[in-house]
Amino acid sequence: MTLPRHDLFDDVAVRLDGVSLRYDTSEDILSGIDLVLKPGSFSFLTGASGAGKTSLLKLLYLALKPTRGEVSLFGRPTSRLTRDQLSALRRRVGVVFQEFRLLDHLTAYENVALPLRVLGRKEASYRHDVEELLAWVGLGERMHSRPPTLSGGEQQRVAIARAVVTQPDILIADEPTGNVDPEMGARLMRLFLELNKRRATTVIIATHDLGLVRQVDAPVFRLQHGLLVQDVEYGPAARRRTDIVKTVD
Amino acid sequence: MAKETPLLPVEDAREMALFFVVGALCFLAALATLSAKSTYGAARSWTAEVEGELTVSLPDADRRGAEEARQLIEATEGVREARLLSKQEIDALLEPNFGSRGLPESLPLPQLIAVTAEPDTQFMGPTLERRLTEAGYAHAVDEHADWAGDVRRMLAIARLVALTAVALLASTAVAVIAFATHAALLARRDIVDVLHLAGARDRYIAGLFERRFWLLGLRAGAVGALLALGAAAAMIFGVHSSGARSGLLPVLSLDIVDLLILVLTPVIAGLAARIAARVTVIRSLKSVM
Ligand SMILES: Nc1ncnc2c1ncn2[C@@H]1O[C@H](COP(=O)(O)OP(=O)(O)O)[C@@H](O)[C@H]1O
Ligand SMILES: [Mg+2]
Repeated sequence: MTLPRHDLFDDVAVRLDGVSLRYDTSEDILSGIDLVLKPGSFSFLTGASGAGKTSLLKLLYLALKPTRGEVSLFGRPTSRLTRDQLSALRRRVGVVFQEFRLLDHLTAYENVALPLRVLGRKEASYRHDVEELLAWVGLGERMHSRPPTLSGGEQQRVAIARAVVTQPDILIADEPTGNVDPEMGARLMRLFLELNKRRATTVIIATHDLGLVRQVDAPVFRLQHGLLVQDVEYGPAARRRTDIVKTVD
Repeated sequence: MAKETPLLPVEDAREMALFFVVGALCFLAALATLSAKSTYGAARSWTAEVEGELTVSLPDADRRGAEEARQLIEATEGVREARLLSKQEIDALLEPNFGSRGLPESLPLPQLIAVTAEPDTQFMGPTLERRLTEAGYAHAVDEHADWAGDVRRMLAIARLVALTAVALLASTAVAVIAFATHAALLARRDIVDVLHLAGARDRYIAGLFERRFWLLGLRAGAVGALLALGAAAAMIFGVHSSGARSGLLPVLSLDIVDLLILVLTPVIAGLAARIAARVTVIRSLKSVM
């Protein structure tokens, strides 16, 4: 018998309570942010360049400690966890970094397999899955190339494949379609949606690409002056609603 | 798939530089230790040579009393031989001072006993002094004291210098290895971060670097120590082929202690690099989250 995936407190995947962040001596980049992401939810994070999207995501994937407030994942306040417990939580979170962070001395295949290697899995046990995933993002032919020989868009797809290869409970993507053409962008969005629907993965995507946001019916959080506001949905349903409002008018 | 690529890239110009630095420092440290040790050896054989002989003079004794004193001395522990000097020998000793005609018969001469110590016995002067006093002799134990004292002082300084050199070189080597390891690691920060965010535990990440730098230190240290061994062997060869009187030169023979130095050098270098790697990685991980 398998244990249920989520423990007692897992009715909330991500929770921010009064979270503020400042670097060095400057003013607060984020100030007093509250945010709840339900398991299996799909949301966008927008805001102008420099608004603090990357900073907020760094708090979510446990790369930074908040200056004030509490970040909880799966109902567990992270400020009270040991380093090993934090590592265990990070394994349940897949991240697509804005700057990819691929390791140049490893092939595309090995970069994607890296999180599995960290988990101590044997290569034979994951080779097929990794190859299939690489083929799916259109890198079947290039899986033994190293990142410096790949285009920006190809590197981005390697980064995405690495983020989803462990089938994480939370997927955090920072501008994941910034370097690909709209067609590939739409394809990658379908991958994220698929993960969200099929595995109930909690997905949050930072982007300033409103074209991407409009493809999906999903809540949109916007960062502005260090504050987080929830916008109305931009997606197809929202547009239909605005159309109705207009007709009535 | 071929063999997995190591998570840490293998070839790295920075690591070659580190290898060179560690190797060179280990060479110097091992050579300094070998020379310090041979200085010690030379010092021991020198002082033994000097301290191994002394002369007892008995101003009041006649020939018969002197023979009894000789027997007493010879029975003392640590004495290999005690020999009463003949009149001719004493004359010969005094010739530079009194000329070749010898001394007038009327002049009272002390009886002289030449004492040779067992090897490894040091400084038996005080013991002899005590025994002779207890037996009621008026005497003087001349320990070749002035000369021996000078030699001892000089050798003490030489030992101190050698020890200081070794201590300085060894600690410099350890410090430089630690710094160089630290620098090489900061350049690998990207790997540390990616592994960390993928959920790798601190000890897993530190372990990767520890293994790498342990092996690097071990290999570089072994190369340095072997070169030091070669240099030492070349020096021994040089000394022997010059036909110099080896007793007064530093003893350069390779014994078990030298081999121990040559084995310990790479181990210490490896440990220094390994501990530096561990401290650097853990510290840089603690600085994130
Ligand atoms: N490590 C850092 N140290 C200091 N300031 C930083 C650091 N990272 C980001 N910032 C600043 O924080 C602000 C928000 O940056 P970021 O979170 O990257 O915004 P976004 O992702 O929305 O473009 C910017 O003004 C940026 O200059
Ligand atoms: Mg950003």
